[in-house]
Amino acid sequence: MTLEFGLVALDIVSSWVRMILALGLSILFALAIGIWAARNRRAEAVILPLLDIFQSIPILGFFPLVILGIYGAIPNFIGANLAVIVLIFTSMSWNIAFGVYEAVKAIPQDYLDLLDVSKSSSWERIKNLYIPASMSRIAYNTQISWAVGLFFLVASEIIVVGTSSGNVQIPIAYGIGIGATYFPANNDYADYALLIGGIVVAVLLWRYLFLRAFALWSEKYKMMEEPRELHRDPITRFYSWVNHRAISKLFLLSHGVGGVTRFSSTIARFRRGLKYAVLIFFVLFGLLLFSSMASSGDLAISNLPSAGQVVSTEATVLVALATSFVRVWYVYAICVAIGLPLGIAISLNFKLYDSVSPVLEVVSSIPAPILLPAIVLVPVIGHAPEAVAAIVIILAIIWYIIFNVMAGVRTLPADLKELPNAYHVGRWAAWRNVYIPGALTGFVTGSITAIGGAWNALIIAEYFTETLSNGKTILLTQVGNGIGKTIVVATAKGQNLTLALAILTMTALIVTFNLTVWRRIYHRVTKRYTYNR
Amino acid sequence: MSQSGPGLPRGAPVVKVEHVRLDYHKEKEPLPVLADVSLQAGRDELVAITGPSGCGKSTLLRIVAGLIKPSSGVVRVLESEVKGPREDVAMVFQNFVLLPWRTALENVVFGLSSRKDLTEVQKRQKAQEALDSAGLTGFENVYPGELSGGMKQRVGVARALATEPKVMLMDEPFSSLDDITAERLRVETHSLLISPSTSIQSVILVSHNVEEIIELADKVVVLSGRPAHVAGELTVDLPRPRNKKSDEFFKWVDRVYAYLS
Repeated sequence: MTLEFGLVALDIVSSWVRMILALGLSILFALAIGIWAARNRRAEAVILPLLDIFQSIPILGFFPLVILGIYGAIPNFIGANLAVIVLIFTSMSWNIAFGVYEAVKAIPQDYLDLLDVSKSSSWERIKNLYIPASMSRIAYNTQISWAVGLFFLVASEIIVVGTSSGNVQIPIAYGIGIGATYFPANNDYADYALLIGGIVVAVLLWRYLFLRAFALWSEKYKMMEEPRELHRDPITRFYSWVNHRAISKLFLLSHGVGGVTRFSSTIARFRRGLKYAVLIFFVLFGLLLFSSMASSGDLAISNLPSAGQVVSTEATVLVALATSFVRVWYVYAICVAIGLPLGIAISLNFKLYDSVSPVLEVVSSIPAPILLPAIVLVPVIGHAPEAVAAIVIILAIIWYIIFNVMAGVRTLPADLKELPNAYHVGRWAAWRNVYIPGALTGFVTGSITAIGGAWNALIIAEYFTETLSNGKTILLTQVGNGIGKTIVVATAKGQNLTLALAILTMTALIVTFNLTVWRRIYHRVTKRYTYNR
Repeated sequence: MSQSGPGLPRGAPVVKVEHVRLDYHKEKEPLPVLADVSLQAGRDELVAITGPSGCGKSTLLRIVAGLIKPSSGVVRVLESEVKGPREDVAMVFQNFVLLPWRTALENVVFGLSSRKDLTEVQKRQKAQEALDSAGLTGFENVYPGELSGGMKQRVGVARALATEPKVMLMDEPFSSLDDITAERLRVETHSLLISPSTSIQSVILVSHNVEEIIELADKVVVLSGRPAHVAGELTVDLPRPRNKKSDEFFKWVDRVYAYLS
């Protein structure tokens, strides 16, 4: 048997082209929205809460719907690719947009005065000041967006294939997500392994040849000293931004300038933000129902669901949501049990840190859904859909815990790490009194991100199909019940009411949970467990 | 230490640093930090180590504490070789290094973690006594974040005192404090360390503040150069209490500066 090098290369190149197009789109969008929000108070008041809502919701849940919508409008090769690109874009753009917003906000008044004096036009301002000032933040945030986007790329490619199993065949032939389902389905595990190896190589090459080069090049656009955190080691740097975003989700509208989040004085803004949230929620709801009906080609009023239907559908949705809620939390518990001690142990040992962290970075950069077909193959576990789902979710989220804990411990001052030694404190007492509390802030922010990621990963983990070479679709794994499964199945079967209610109920749960439980926990932990002299 | 007035012979050596060398290994090139440093701290003596910043004074202190292994040479405390952190040596840090998530009392109790011979209640009792003698009565249940810098360092001193050390190591203990707080704490700490009730036999203080050194020290060791070596050693036989305004005091300050420059 010969290896399909060409096919694997084609898969990777196709996916990368989609990613690059989505990144370009994201940067353009980020510049437009970010500059607008930073220079216009009214725009700021609307754009910021919108961005916050969009990055707080489990966007993967909306994917099946978006695919059907876009493909319904442009039913060909272009429409199908556009759908995937739009989906990646939705995962990449918010982060970069916030970067541009904060960079433009942080431009010193002197520079603005200079442009006023020279009577520059708006375009000249954008070209000569706003864009250059944003450059280093764009480059920096692109690194994060790329990692996040890769996960969503694979997910959306898989969903495209899964969705086309219903009444439509969506013409997307190449992509790493496609390959990851196509090869195993045809018992071609050699090529499947080749694909995964190829992805690792591509990720590494891309990181060093583009992302790093971009970041280095953008250094010359730095206007002033960046916040200290930007100069820390790569892991800390990478995740400090992810954290920053995760935390700001809890506060809605609490964005400070230059990466510093102002939490005080946010109460009033928080209330205002909540109003927007509710408003946006209803708009989304309407859009969702409308688009889902439009996509099924049935817009008659008589097709509107009755109250009874809504109630009974919502009841099944709630049961599915509760099941997934339990799943998310027990999987999270496993991740904590592994990730917290591992993260602390790695960062306390310099040699271990230097040798292990690059490995972790590579492993963590493999998009988790792509490994699902391999997990299904594992004896015993592969036949237990609950275990398969758990492992996929673990692989998707455990990095947030490990890396955040590592960053937390690494940033503890040297003399604090010396203290247990100086007082010959035993290992357990040192962990209990120093390292675990010291890692707690990072741990909590990592947890917030991880739980958010888990809700996204459900969509793939709970229900997974593969398309055979003859076009037939086989079901690879499905859990007993769950909101991810509900969403995917409802999409395939065209059950629009179920789909709309499932997405909205899940979103409502996540946003509420962020604003109440996580917010309180985060407040408590940062108040007591932040180490400052 | 109260006996160690001028003219009196020094007691038996408590801490002996013998020909200590330290090289940092960075990219295989050994970078020498300390070159053959020897010094002694005798019974009832407060020895101050000073030198330009970055010369390795704090590193030397950490070698004495057993936190860093020297590349060669030996440190002995009461004739036994230092091979790692030990129970009869306590350390006070420049930046206090209190656990923000533990109260003042719990922080002191934490310093007693290794004392398997004490019950939890006894540890708390000891901690309470140490806090009392450091002037922190009433602040037992306060978290470090709510304490001023001076009070934080009092907790740091109490934590060290509670372990009933024979040797007390102090790494720039007053340099993160404002002048007035530092001066008060200096006076109080000194009387605390020399009080007859204490277990402490010897104190080593690292500081770059020459006036502070002349105010407190019985002996001054000046480090200098790269790698650092002992540039000079002087015995400060000023009578106590020392008047910081006196001409005699400034003469001593100048003598130390002469070695530093």
